[in-house]
Amino acid sequence: MTFCLFRIQSFPKLWKSNSYLPLGPRHSYLCLFMADSCGIRKQPRWFSLKTISSQNTKATNLVANSRYLRKYNGNDNQVPSDSLHFFSAGAAKKRSQMNSQSKDHDLPPVRNTIQLPTQPLNSEEWDKLKADFKGRSFESWIISQMAHDRSPVDVAKSLLAWVAAKNNGIVAYDLLVKYLHLCVIHKQTSEVIDVYEIMKARYKILDSGGYTLLIRGLIQSDRWKEAFLLLEDLKKVMTPSRKNYDDCIQGALLHQDVNTAWNLYQELLGHNIIPMLETLKAFFDFGKDIKDDNYSNKLLDILLYLRNNQLYPGESFAHSIKTWFESVPGKQWKGQFTTIQKSGQCSGCGKTIESIQLSPEDYEFLKGRIMRDVIDGGDQYRKTTPQELKRFENFVKSCPPFDIVIDGLNVAKMFPKARESKLLLNVVSQLAKQNLRLLVLGRKHMLRKSSQWRKDEMEEVQKQARCFFADNISKDDPFLLYATLHSGNHCKFITNDLMRDHKACLPDANTQRLFFKWQQGHQLAIINGFPGSKLTFQHILSYDTVVQTTGDSWHIPYDEDLVERYSYEVPTKWLCLHRKT
Amino acid sequence: MSVFLKMSVSVSFFRPFTRFLVPFTLHGKRNNLYSTVLQRYMSSKIPAVTSTNNESTSPSEELELDRWKTTMKSSVQEECVSTISSSKDEDPLAATREYIETWRLLGKEVPEHITEEELKTITECVSKTAKKKYLKYLFTKEKAKQAKKIKKEMKAAAREEAKNVSLLETTEEDKQNNFLFLRLWDRNMDIAMGWKGAQAMQFGQPLVFDMAYENYMKPRELQNAVSQLLESEGCNRRNVDPFHIYFCNLNIGSVYHRELVKRYGEKWDKLLLTATEKSYVDLFSKDSIIYLTADSPNVMTTFRHDKVYIIGSFVDKTMQPGKSLAKAKRLKLATERLPLDKYLQWSVGTKNLTLDQMMRILLCLKNTGNWEEALKFVPKRKHTGGILEISQYSQELINRLKKAKTFNSFSKSTLNAYAQKKWLK
Repeated sequence: MTFCLFRIQSFPKLWKSNSYLPLGPRHSYLCLFMADSCGIRKQPRWFSLKTISSQNTKATNLVANSRYLRKYNGNDNQVPSDSLHFFSAGAAKKRSQMNSQSKDHDLPPVRNTIQLPTQPLNSEEWDKLKADFKGRSFESWIISQMAHDRSPVDVAKSLLAWVAAKNNGIVAYDLLVKYLHLCVIHKQTSEVIDVYEIMKARYKILDSGGYTLLIRGLIQSDRWKEAFLLLEDLKKVMTPSRKNYDDCIQGALLHQDVNTAWNLYQELLGHNIIPMLETLKAFFDFGKDIKDDNYSNKLLDILLYLRNNQLYPGESFAHSIKTWFESVPGKQWKGQFTTIQKSGQCSGCGKTIESIQLSPEDYEFLKGRIMRDVIDGGDQYRKTTPQELKRFENFVKSCPPFDIVIDGLNVAKMFPKARESKLLLNVVSQLAKQNLRLLVLGRKHMLRKSSQWRKDEMEEVQKQARCFFADNISKDDPFLLYATLHSGNHCKFITNDLMRDHKACLPDANTQRLFFKWQQGHQLAIINGFPGSKLTFQHILSYDTVVQTTGDSWHIPYDEDLVERYSYEVPTKWLCLHRKT
Repeated sequence: MSVFLKMSVSVSFFRPFTRFLVPFTLHGKRNNLYSTVLQRYMSSKIPAVTSTNNESTSPSEELELDRWKTTMKSSVQEECVSTISSSKDEDPLAATREYIETWRLLGKEVPEHITEEELKTITECVSKTAKKKYLKYLFTKEKAKQAKKIKKEMKAAAREEAKNVSLLETTEEDKQNNFLFLRLWDRNMDIAMGWKGAQAMQFGQPLVFDMAYENYMKPRELQNAVSQLLESEGCNRRNVDPFHIYFCNLNIGSVYHRELVKRYGEKWDKLLLTATEKSYVDLFSKDSIIYLTADSPNVMTTFRHDKVYIIGSFVDKTMQPGKSLAKAKRLKLATERLPLDKYLQWSVGTKNLTLDQMMRILLCLKNTGNWEEALKFVPKRKHTGGILEISQYSQELINRLKKAKTFNSFSKSTLNAYAQKKWLK
């Protein structure tokens, strides 16, 4: 605190020394801003003052500084002018880090402070420990803690022995399950079998947690076949989870029972469950030792499954795939980890990756779906009105195909400091210079004169581009999507909106993936810093990030372990596999 | 440890002779108690376990620790047989019932008693999450019921006691007082409200509940909507100047109708409101109708006594925004929303209010026209700082600016610089 004040008081000296520079105003601006933010927010801002002042002493350029300011203004529309693509893995994380201040983490809740025993205790010691405990159920609390801290099995066992001794040799179900959990994580197979015997004798049906633990424990032992019986039992009450299937498949593979493993895999797919990547990885890992065409084909089917469902393997899975391919005898596969160049060529082998463009059938299908589900949605009045829809359809039909469709409101509101109509005009005129046929979508209120919307500028916009103004209470994004789709494959649209809500209107995952693919190939997001500078766009990916093959080559995108990828982003790293000729 | 290892070897070698050998091997090391325990253990069914686990602990504890297993297994045999014979293996309902029982044993939120009907609903639930949710609902319902029952019993006991005391008192002195009225307040209230209601039916301002959202609601939401309708009707009845309530688009035989009749019982036919299958556009002129919806772009500024306000009786828990606005758009009706943002500092929750809250707000507006007073019926949790008047809000802004300025006065030049900046621009 004192440090900061000292810094502020030292400012005048700085200004005296070089008062002719436009430094002063910047300082003041910063200070004002700081004061304001301190009035509203909490302490941490103080520290940023320090960095700013040091920057000022160097008298760096104004540009850098104003950028600094805007970052703190919480400008949501801002996209980092970074090399990361809009949809590539980690971009969203980065954006969120740029936009939000780190939150203070809450302190963990106060725990009951009993030291967990590290050695088995006898009953007197347990009694004593219980006397210290304040709460409802000592036994279940302490065993939960033990399960959490991975205490040794024997400690838990001594607890159970004590409970049983107090309770005529009966141990409650929840204690038994938690004990089983401990046994499973410590891989105490014989203990697991004991508990299994007990549970079998005592309870006809267990809960899904109990089944899961038993399956996981038994699969390691030589009584692994009984795990499948447990799976059958579980099916009586509910569909097993993908983790259950994973355990069973891994167990079957561990004991060389390949047929059962594949059958379980088929059953899993039959339930419409998306398998865990670990399960798929296990098949590949096991495949190294099998030289069998049938098995190889099934593995290739898995890769096609990944492709169809837009799943991406993890890093270790990618390694497994690579080793499996390289172990196939006689074919001499060669794998390497690469990236794809902007041109859509693999840096490893130089082959061109599949284009992002949709096939004509898919394109027509998507167009229909957007019209039916996003714009109409069973009730035309929700997003627009029938009259407006008619007007829009006629308008689109009357115009030749556009090159670029602009979301007027999104573009205009990109920088809160600048006037909205001016921003829009700026973007439109820059694009118009390139002889592109433009369509600007907006709402009617943009035509009304106000401080943000100047009439002359709007007239200028209308001269340079075709415009369609929807009602103020209609949604403009669906129109944007449809107009772009209607114009054809070459047409792009400009907005920084990720369109997730419209994607959600689509009925099934398949259509949503189509939409996402189309969006990646046609959305232009503006990334340049300020209103004054030249317009630059996020480059559009020319290739599709998906598992793909050309027969003698495979290209498989994968997730790196250390990069967090959001669901609407795609990986950047690839596994390139090709056959030596 | 070494002693133990030796023992285990001897055990495995001379198993037929363990009964003789064991006391010898342990002799001198441990006391007599342990030898007997060991003996008993050795004679039980699973001796293999000891040899697999014995690396980590000393033998004596190990043996003691495993004893519960044998009791668990042995003591159960007879119970187990009975349960198997009682329930058929193939019945999914029974399996589900037992499954839920295991959940209860684990301390999860499931009800203790489940009827056949509820069990059927559970098995019909499509997903695991749906099952869990329904079970939790049953659980909380059961808990509330139990708590109510206990409370009732306690009250009954207290009343009994009070009765005894008062009996004693009355026997002592016989009360003889002069009263003006007989004690019939409740009935008199009802009759008075009935008169007022009849008056409202004749001359009251119409207030419409639009019942056309039946298809958009799940059974639970519909139940809630009916509860809220009941609550709003009760509110209206008690008011000084009630509305004339219309239930429009209420089809006879629809779920809404059935539920309302079920909840009101025989009172349904005597209610002083208009229930009709017709739409409000048929009953009133279109330009007098104002549809109230939170999605409306227009803000309600004053309550107009010559307008017919419409409230959609729609509980929307699944987030389908714009349903009622679409409806109003289709019929080309005027729409309005409450000026919540103007008068309240909103913090959490949707701006959709419940039907009874809407009713209370409208009644209050009708009688006083005071927004601050009316918006007190908005739940407190949804806004912060209570009701802020405009002037108060601007006052706060000024205060904040002042604070900022005092900070700036630490260095006078910042102010100068501020001026300079303006000048530069």
